[in-house]
Formats: sequence, structure tokens, C-alpha cells
Amino acid sequence: MRLRYIAHAALALGLAAPAFAQETMETVKERGVLNCQVGLPTPGFYALAEDGTWSGMDVDLCRAVSAAIFGDPDQVEYQSVTSAVRFTSLANAESDMLSRTTTWTAVRDTQLGLDFTTVNFYDGQGFLVPADSGITSALELDGGVICVLTGTTTELNLADYFRANGMSFTPVTNENVNVLVETYLGGGCDAYTNDKSGLAARRSAFPDPNGHTLLPETVSKEPLGPVVRQGDDAWANLVRWVVFGIINAEELGVSSENVDEMTSSADPNIARLLGSEGNIGEGLGVSPTFMVDVIKAVGNYGEIYEKHIGENTPIGIPREGTLNALWTEGGIIYAPPFR
Amino acid sequence: MSDAPLIFSPKPDRPAPADTVGLLGWIRQNLFKDVPNALMTLLGAYIIFVVTGAVVNWALIDAVWSAESRRECLDQVGRAGACWPGVAAWFKNLIYGLYPKDQVWRINLGFVLLVLWMLPLWMPKVTSKIGIGLSAVLLYPFLASYFFLGGEKALVWTALIALGLCGLIWVWSTALTETLVEKPLGSWVIGRLGVPEADERRQRQTKLICAALLFVAAFAFVSLWSLSEVRTRLWGGLFLTLVISGIGITFSLPAGILLALGRRSDLPVIAAMSTLFIELFRSVPLITILFMFNTMLPLFMPTGIEVNQLVRAIVAVCLFAAAYMAEVVRGGLQAIDKGQYEASSSLGMGYWQTTTLIVLPQALKIMIPAIVGNFIGLFKDTTLVSIIGLFDLMNMARAIGEDTRWLGLFIEPFFVVSLIYFVFCFAMSSYSMGLERKLATGRDRS
Amino acid sequence: MAVIHNPDPSDSKQRGVTRLFYDARIRSIFIQAITLALVLGFLGWLTLNTMTNLAARNLSAGFDFLDVSAGFGIGFTLIPYQESDTYLRVFFVGIMNTLLVAAVSIVLATVFGLIVGLARLSNNWIIATLSRSYIELIRNTPLLLQIIAWFFGVFVLLPRPRQSVELGEAFFLNNRGFYMPAAVPEPGFGVVTATFLACIVGTIALAIWARRRRDRTGRHFPAFFTGFGAIIVLPLGVHLALGSPLGWELPELKGLNFTGGVSVPPSFCALIVALSAYTSCFIAEIVRSGIQSVSKGQLEAAGALNLPANWTLRRVVLPQALRVIIPPLISQYLNVTKNSSLAIAIGFPDLVSVWMNTSLNQSGRAIPIVAMTMAFYCLVSISVSLVMNYYNARAQIKER
Repeated sequence: MRLRYIAHAALALGLAAPAFAQETMETVKERGVLNCQVGLPTPGFYALAEDGTWSGMDVDLCRAVSAAIFGDPDQVEYQSVTSAVRFTSLANAESDMLSRTTTWTAVRDTQLGLDFTTVNFYDGQGFLVPADSGITSALELDGGVICVLTGTTTELNLADYFRANGMSFTPVTNENVNVLVETYLGGGCDAYTNDKSGLAARRSAFPDPNGHTLLPETVSKEPLGPVVRQGDDAWANLVRWVVFGIINAEELGVSSENVDEMTSSADPNIARLLGSEGNIGEGLGVSPTFMVDVIKAVGNYGEIYEKHIGENTPIGIPREGTLNALWTEGGIIYAPPFR
Repeated sequence: MSDAPLIFSPKPDRPAPADTVGLLGWIRQNLFKDVPNALMTLLGAYIIFVVTGAVVNWALIDAVWSAESRRECLDQVGRAGACWPGVAAWFKNLIYGLYPKDQVWRINLGFVLLVLWMLPLWMPKVTSKIGIGLSAVLLYPFLASYFFLGGEKALVWTALIALGLCGLIWVWSTALTETLVEKPLGSWVIGRLGVPEADERRQRQTKLICAALLFVAAFAFVSLWSLSEVRTRLWGGLFLTLVISGIGITFSLPAGILLALGRRSDLPVIAAMSTLFIELFRSVPLITILFMFNTMLPLFMPTGIEVNQLVRAIVAVCLFAAAYMAEVVRGGLQAIDKGQYEASSSLGMGYWQTTTLIVLPQALKIMIPAIVGNFIGLFKDTTLVSIIGLFDLMNMARAIGEDTRWLGLFIEPFFVVSLIYFVFCFAMSSYSMGLERKLATGRDRS
Repeated sequence: MAVIHNPDPSDSKQRGVTRLFYDARIRSIFIQAITLALVLGFLGWLTLNTMTNLAARNLSAGFDFLDVSAGFGIGFTLIPYQESDTYLRVFFVGIMNTLLVAAVSIVLATVFGLIVGLARLSNNWIIATLSRSYIELIRNTPLLLQIIAWFFGVFVLLPRPRQSVELGEAFFLNNRGFYMPAAVPEPGFGVVTATFLACIVGTIALAIWARRRRDRTGRHFPAFFTGFGAIIVLPLGVHLALGSPLGWELPELKGLNFTGGVSVPPSFCALIVALSAYTSCFIAEIVRSGIQSVSKGQLEAAGALNLPANWTLRRVVLPQALRVIIPPLISQYLNVTKNSSLAIAIGFPDLVSVWMNTSLNQSGRAIPIVAMTMAFYCLVSISVSLVMNYYNARAQIKER
């Protein structure tokens, strides 16, 4: 009786869906749900609300891919996974894609069975210090105690930076940002380091945001983007071109508001993007008009940015003049053409 | 000479010395008996004052009770007082996780059913307690897992749920007949139907027919249900903690008994393997086991089989709990006097008869406090599933501080979670102490 | 189990298979062989699957990453470590830190547990109640939460380095850690160490001799106090005679933080306090039940023999109580070692935190890393179990 129950429960709970034998696309279509891995809740990129809904810049990528496949952005199961098991979870085929502020590095791309598709956000590591400490440059942090998120590239960059400049430091590590912030606010470390996008958001929630300064140095390159499992090029293509499509849409002025009018646009670039001309969707294994669904669901790159992390949000990261501006506006957000 | 009989009349008792009775006396006896005692009392009182004072100040007096965001809290009191509105806004999530809000009744119903199922165990006149307990372990899970999971149900699944429903009906009709007319359910039904008592075959047939009718009715009823599917990813909060520890506890007792028997077995291979298993799982921290199951179980499975994350955590917790329970049971088995084995052998009982009828009943009675202690430990240990990313109480508390509105709220949710844990563990340990007193028969003289 | 003999010789001509089944020895071999085959088959199946899966997922299970440079900093190390050191070194750093936490917590928890356990038996109501509520409160809350509470409730709230709590210019306590003077041995200190070790050996020999003599003649020799005195006095005398060949390096505030001396980070302090507080509750209960387990008759008998009170305690109560106390005490010590893995919650670099979390994360080699972690804990546990079994075998009351 027990055995039968266990067997049955196991069946019901998920000894389901073969994953490796088939191409990821087939699996996802068969399952009817995209398993999209995000991290533990983080504002702006993958935020969790009380009602259980996820939102944010990286979540919108999951929604976009779901819209491209199913025409519906909500056929996504969000798998919130600690950073310690993120890559094994993807490599084990539990997740179909990973969209969670993950830095693209050589080791990760080549040794962990992963495939980085493209970059959707350029970040860089900075330091936050109390204003009354009088520190104005990261080079004054010699001998300091630094709070740093563990298991991230941040931790490695920190060590590299101090080594390169012949300085010493003592790390205070944790995998929970709030623990680090509490430690920092309590004076447990001289500086708190993280990606600058994260620092700005956290500072806004300090009791006294003006009492803390962001040091001018950016000590690392942090290209963040969606990741898929190695060995399924068709699937990697789809994720990659959905991101490219969103960027192209901004460049071409297609937004969630005007996408319906734009389908009849005379501009051949727009026509190809929205599938009224050509058959780019076919090559990716989705409907020719997949970008219409995507843009309707999540908008173009600029819309996504402004909605989740732009200046009018609590996160408040300005875009103009940064790396994350379009290439036409001085940034490096650039996508190959849809043709 | 007087004939008056000599009557002994004791003098009235003198009142107890004033400093040993009443409040004052109690204080003198228990708090200020001598100088060191008095000093300790003052020290104790000071510790109590400082600790409770600080907590009360932070949690009640300086706390903010209504605000729209953490910013508002911080603007009002800074970090001197607690910011409760954030916890209040997420309180439902702390209890139910991300379970859809309009489906939460299913969880509540599931737990009400469990209470209903177990209630007869505390009713004095009920005699079939073993049957009721067994049915709670074997049949309740079908019913509960359907309520919690929902979704499409195939024929077999429906039958199992119907079986669960039958179980519940059986439990309560048994409890009622045994309480009201003091007869087992079967004989009461047969009495009402007028089946002659002598005809055993007809009696058995009648019982079977009744059971079959009940099952068919339940099956038909269950087929009408349709609940939307709730994926386990959405499970969380206290609910998830209870599910994991509940399954762990239920599994660990039988598995632990088997392992303990295996370890004491005369068959060297079986003893060695049981010992190996127990020692392996007991010697490593639960975190490493959870980690191993989380990252490596998918690698152990044949290509194409995907095991749900929750299932992996539950398997890890079950095996870990079984190894610990095995050692508790072994302690109980060792306490059984050798004479008991010899006596049962001399009566011609085999291994299984001796074990189930003589040894285990005595051993289990001795072990109850230790078993409950183990349960409490397991319940507390489930906090670790947060480290592999399940949204149990701990992770749910953490999620509050990552909500854009309540960004950075960290201490308050943890305070509430600690309180919840404390209430549960304290209730369990108090119950176990009561049980210990009730069962402590003929062992102490004092 | 007794071998079951077939009582009726005429039955021995039963068909072979049935007879085999009823022969307890053959049956047991049969059962064991089947179990063994099943378990080995299962393990083999798992290994096969793992190998297939590793190949299919482009993952590597090898240990070749161990000599790759780790590249991250570690906040607290007992052995020298730099960012450019290898992963293997990180593993040893983690092991040393775990062992340090365990050792310190075990000592503190034992002392504290003894005090609380005795306080629970106190006749002062407020002390007994206080220690009971302390036990109930601590025992019924998850350790993970307590570690976090100590870290944020106490150690992060300490004053900043410039306003450190000082003790005689040598000890400093602030929210960056606890700073102590470091001992710097100078030439000649080796002699002091040698004297110290010699005294310990001598004391052990003395204790053995005293015990033999007592068994033989019944006369008592206070070996414990003599030896203890010798261990303290002799090395101290040698030390002073050689002109104190031990220098002290004091911590001092330089730039942002203190440098020099020995220091431990706040996460270490929080972990130690939380672990020893948590474990002390269990030890207190063990001590209490151990003392209460000594039958009243034993005390009465000792009283009837007119034994002095401290002899009653040392020769009657303690030997019996210890038999009850030691086994669960050792298993609590093992628990401390395992529970120290919760250091991960406040970022103290113990084995699990620095190896199974950080290193696994940075290198992505799940299998070797998890396997090595488990191997370490198993090793510790097995060595303790061996000691335990030896003690149990010695201390058990001899049965018929």
C-alpha cells in the first residue's frame, strides 16, 4: 500500500517529461510550459509580489520566449533557485533557460555545459561606502573589511582588484543580500560591493540614502544575459533572437503600443521583424509573426528597461549615456539585423 | 480518685511560621533563602528585565503598525522599532507560500481533514485506535495530496482518492458507533441489517457488500471533483514546512524500525548494510545530504527522468530522518531485558512474532520521548531546505525583504518565523513531557 | 537465533527444495545473497546512469580542478591562504575552520551546559525557572535562526573600530571582530613547551601509579591535584627562569581596522555563541538526567558507609552518572561539528560555506566537491564512533 502510494505520488509530483532525448523546443511545446530559471527574488530583475507573480527585466525575457513559442507570455513556470545550484539545475535539464543576471565568463561558457546566448544588460561592479567615512576612491580601501555576495563573479573581481592594486582586504561573505546590507548598515564592513545596478537599488532602501556614497570606480565587466544548455543550437538560437528582436524593435521604433499599426509598415526592416515579410520565424521553429506576440507581451528593450529598472522606478538606474543605451545613442546595446 | 476517663486532647496545631507560608513565605523560601540565593535572584531578575525590555521596546513600543512601504517605516522610527506592516502584507505567504490565494481553502481543508482523522484517537471510548492511526498514515495522504496538488486525475488516482474518502467515513462511523452504542462498526451494521449472528459467511458477505457500496459511492462522488492544478513550485511557507516534516516523520518511524532491526540482525550482510546506511547518513550534516540530492539525484536517474525539486528534498529528509530514528529505536531495543527474548523463545515464538508482539511494544513505549524529540529536531531541520531554494518559511521570510516595497526588511520576518517555530516546537515538547509522565509507570521510586 | 532442527527424522526425506527452505542457515545465506545482489545492482545502476548523464551533459566529475587557482578571498583562515592559492588549499582552510569552530563550541557548550544543568536543579525558584525557560526557548527554535539572531542582535551592533571596547590596550572588541595579542615565541620557549609536555606525561604516569597503589593497598594519593599543580607551576617556573622568552604582538588601529595580533571575525563569535548556547541546552538536559539517574539507594548506601560528601560525589555518583552522560554527550559533540555547517547563513568560511558553496559555485564541479565534503564529515564521525564504541564496551555493566 505504501509503496503504491509512493510510486503514485512520485508520478503525480513529477517523474515526468523526458528532457534529454528530444530537442528542448519539442519538450517545451509538449509540456506546454517553459521552465525558466530565475534567482531568489531580486528587485528590478526578478521580483516576487505577494500574489506570487514574478516581474522584472529578466522575467520579461522568460515571458518573451514563452510568447514567441506559445503566443502567450504566461505559459512559464518560474524556478527560483539559489545561485549555488543554478548551473547544475540548468545542466540537469530542470530548467529550459536561465535568465538571472548571470555574468558571461569564459569558464562558465566552456566548462559547465552552458551556452551563453547574448547580453541583455551591461553591469559593472562598484563600491558603496558611508559618506562620513571620508573615502572617495576605492584605492583608499586598503586593509578594509568588504561585504561581498558569495558565489558570484563579484567575489572574484573584488579579490582581483585588490591584488592588482597591491592592497589587502578581509571579505565578509554571504549569499543573502539583505544579510550583507544589514551588516554594512550596522558598520560590520567598511564598504559593500556589488553590481552597480544592485547598489543603487539597495541604497534607495537605506534609512538614510544620502549618507552613503557610490565610489566612482567600476572594477569589472559584467555582461549579463540569458543562458541555455550546451548542445541544442536551435534552442539557443530562439532565445538569442528573441532578445535581438526586442532590441531591434526599439531601434526601429516598434513598441507594444504601436505594434499593430506597424504590421502594415512599409519599412522592410519592420516588416521582416514582425513577420509580414520573410520567414525568419520558421527557421527558429516558431510562427512567422512571433515578434508581434513578443512585443505585445513585453514591449521593446527600452520599454522593458524603463518599466523595471528605469529612472521612474524605485530601482532608478539611468540609461542615457550608459553602456545600456542603444548603439545609436552612445551605448553598446546592438543587435544583428533581422534578415 | 476521679473516675473521669482520661481523654487525650491534643493542643491545636500552631500556625506554620509566618515566613514559610503565603506569598511572603514563598518568596523567602524560594528567592531569598540565603545571601548567594538572594544575589542570584537579583541577577536573574536583572537579566530578565534587560532582555525583555529591549525586545518589548523594539517589537511593541517603538514599532510601526501601519505604513505603505519600508520607506515610511524608516522615516517614522528609523531602525529603532520594528516595521510590522511588511510582515502583515506577506503574512498569508508566510503561511501558504505562493499558493494561489483563491485556492488556499484546499490547504485549510486538508489540515482540517487531518485533525478530523486524528481526533478519534483522543476519544476515550474508541477502541480501534490502531486501525484509525494506520488509516491516517496509509489513506489520508491520497486525499490530502489530491487537495494540495489538484489537476487531472486518471482512473487509478481517482480510485485511490475514493479509498481515502472511504477511510475518513470509516474512521468517523467507527468512532461514532463505538462512542454511542459501544459496539464496533461492523457488528452494529450487521445488527441493524438483521443478519443472524451465527452465520459468519453471510456476515462477511454483508460487510464486503457494504464496503463495496461505500467505495462505489465515494468513487462516483470523487469523479465529480475537479480542482485546478497547483504546481509544487508554488508551495511554500509554513504549509511546505509541515508537508516536508510530516512526510519525513511518517516515513522515518517505520523505516527507522526496520533499519534498527536490520542493524541488530543475525544476518551479517544485512546488519552491515544497515549499519553502513545509518552511519553514513548520520555522520554528514543535513545540508550536505540536501545538496547531494539536489545536485546529484538528477544525475543518478536514467536519462529523461526528471525528479521534482520538492520530491528530491523530501527523499533527502526522509532518509536522513530514518537514519536518526533507527538509532533512537536501537536505544529502545537495547533497553529490553534479555529475559524477554528468552521467555518468548521458550514459548516457541519466531523472530517476527517476538519482535512485533513482545519487543517492539515495550521498546516503543520507552522511546516515546526520544521519538518526539526526534520529530522536533526534524521539524526544525526543515529550515535547511531554504538553502537549496525551496520557499519554506525561511525563504518566504527572505522574499519579503526583496519585495520592492519592503526592500531590506529582514529582522522582522525572521522574528515572526522564529515565533512560529517556537510555538510548534514548544507545543510538541510539552505534549511529549506530558506523555512521558503518563507513561512513566513503575520505573521510578521517589 | 537458534538453528531449527527438524524434529522428525522421517521428514528428512522431504523433497530437497522444501528442506533447503526450512534450513535456517541456508535460508539466511539465501536472503543475504539476494539482498546483497539487489543493493549492488542498484548501486551499479546509479553509477552507470551517472556516467551516461555526465557524458551527455558535458560535465566533468574529475578532480583536476583541485590545483586550479581559486581566485576568491576568505575572511578568516587558520592556515596561510591567498587568493592565488588552489582549490585544494581552500578545502583545507575550510576543514581547519570547521574543526576550530567545533572545538571551541564543544568546550564552551560543555561548561555552560554543566552550569545550566545544575541551575535547573537549583532550589532557587527564579534561577531554576530562568534556566528552564532558557532551555525551552533555545531548544525550541531552529539553530539557523539563532545564529542569525546572535549575529545581528549582538555582534553587528557592537561599536565600530574607533570606539572599540578595550581591555588594557591588549583586547579589543568591535563589530569587525575580537582582537587579542598574539604570542610570538622567542628562542628558549621550546624548553618551556618541553617542560609542559613532560609534566603532562608525568601526571598521567602518576595517576596510573596512584590507581594501582590504591587498588593494591587501599591508600589514597591525591594524584589529580599534585599533577595539576605540577603542570601549572613547573612550566611557569622554567618560563620565568629563562626570562620570559615569549613576546606579545598587540593589535593596533591602523587605517580602517586593527592590524596585528590574533583576531576572529564577528561571524565566528556569533557562530560560537549560538552553537554553544544551543548545544548547552541539550547538554544541560543530559547532565540533569544523568545525575537524576543515579538511584537514591546508592546515595543512602554511601551515607550508611559514612563516606565523605566529595567521595560520594567522586566515587559513587559521578562514575554511575557518567555512564549515562557520556554517550549522548559525545553524540552532541558530533552534532556540534555537523551544526557548524550552518555558518553559511552568516558567511563564516567553514567547510560547507567556503567549499560546498563558494568553491562549488565558482568551479561548478558539484560531484567531487560534495563527495569530498561528505567524506570529511564521515571521517570525523567514524573516528568519534570508534572512540565511543571503545568507551561503551568498557563502561557497560557486565551482563550475565
